[in-house]
Amino acid sequence: MDRECVAAIVPINIGRDPVERLASLFDLHYDRLYRLSRRLVSSTDDALDLVQETFLKAARRPNSVPRGFADEEAWLVRVLINTARDQWRKTSVRTRTDNPGSLSATETRSPEAALIARTAVWAALDSLPPRRRAITVMYEMDGVAVSAIASLLGISAITVRWHLSKARRALAQTLGVYTGEKQ
Amino acid sequence: MKIGELLREADPLQHEEPYPSADQRKASRQVVLKTASNAMGPARITLRPAMIYPAVLALLVAAILARAWSPSVVKVQAAVSFEIRLAEDAPGPGLRAAKVSGSDRTIYLHDQAVVSNSDIESARVVQSPAPSRYYVEVKFDRRGAEKMLRGTRGHMDRPLAMVIDGKVVGAPTLRSTIGGSALITGDFTKAEAERIANGIR
Repeated sequence: MDRECVAAIVPINIGRDPVERLASLFDLHYDRLYRLSRRLVSSTDDALDLVQETFLKAARRPNSVPRGFADEEAWLVRVLINTARDQWRKTSVRTRTDNPGSLSATETRSPEAALIARTAVWAALDSLPPRRRAITVMYEMDGVAVSAIASLLGISAITVRWHLSKARRALAQTLGVYTGEKQ
Repeated sequence: MKIGELLREADPLQHEEPYPSADQRKASRQVVLKTASNAMGPARITLRPAMIYPAVLALLVAAILARAWSPSVVKVQAAVSFEIRLAEDAPGPGLRAAKVSGSDRTIYLHDQAVVSNSDIESARVVQSPAPSRYYVEVKFDRRGAEKMLRGTRGHMDRPLAMVIDGKVVGAPTLRSTIGGSALITGDFTKAEAERIANGIR
């Protein structure tokens, strides 16, 4: 090996006891799911609830969770996004379409201006459908490659790029005042 | 400023704790595991005669398919030597001292490996939560899975050494038994992970 290799071994797919397996699933995937969840909803509490609801779905249907790290991770991510989508649909359209563009941007990068910009970005992200938002945050914030997102969500790379393009266009429309691309 | 930069600057994980607290995690874990225990219940399947023939047929088809597929998992000479050994934190009779790569830690290896290359059915690279870092998922064959389950069952809260090419690359403390498969996590680039995954089969 070119450089010193340091690794840990994590048990997965353990035993036959569903509770034991769920404990392993939880320990192995909780952090990753939380990070995605936090970027999909507007508060820490909502993010914690969303991750817990995802694992509760796995707890109620243990046999539907596939075996193997990559497959079970993909299953959990899809369930999390679908759960977020269900909640998103219940949210009133008015709440989602509060016009973030109405917030005025200032040229200076003061803490207040940065906070206003962040608020505007979050409002703009809230208007995206959850799957598109998940693809956008995985790509833009987490640096996950298009091909990896595609295999995680079970869709083609072309579809991932299409979602990214649609998201960028929608965000540019509402955030143009901050990017200087469009008012 | 571009959209991507704007998004990264607004990333909530840049401005708050990137992970939940241990208490939050523990509370959520308890709720989930309690639900799982309740959901298990005394599930029973009553097999009606009409269900037996399709079940037998499905088993036969599965057996034929398994035979047909077996050539694809024929093992070749491993290019990377891989072993999992039980280990101890203190010296003892029959134990061999070994340094853990990347640390000053010394552990004491049992003389027999629990599993080695010949017990692996497949290995593949999977993306880690961190960008550009990869893990290796190892699936043991039936004999290997039984060896892992037996070997790790009586070794809780003691170290388990992973030995690649003669070097102890990790010696985590065993917190639960390991059965059919395991994940080798580490700071691997894709090339390193591929080398391990391709080499240990």
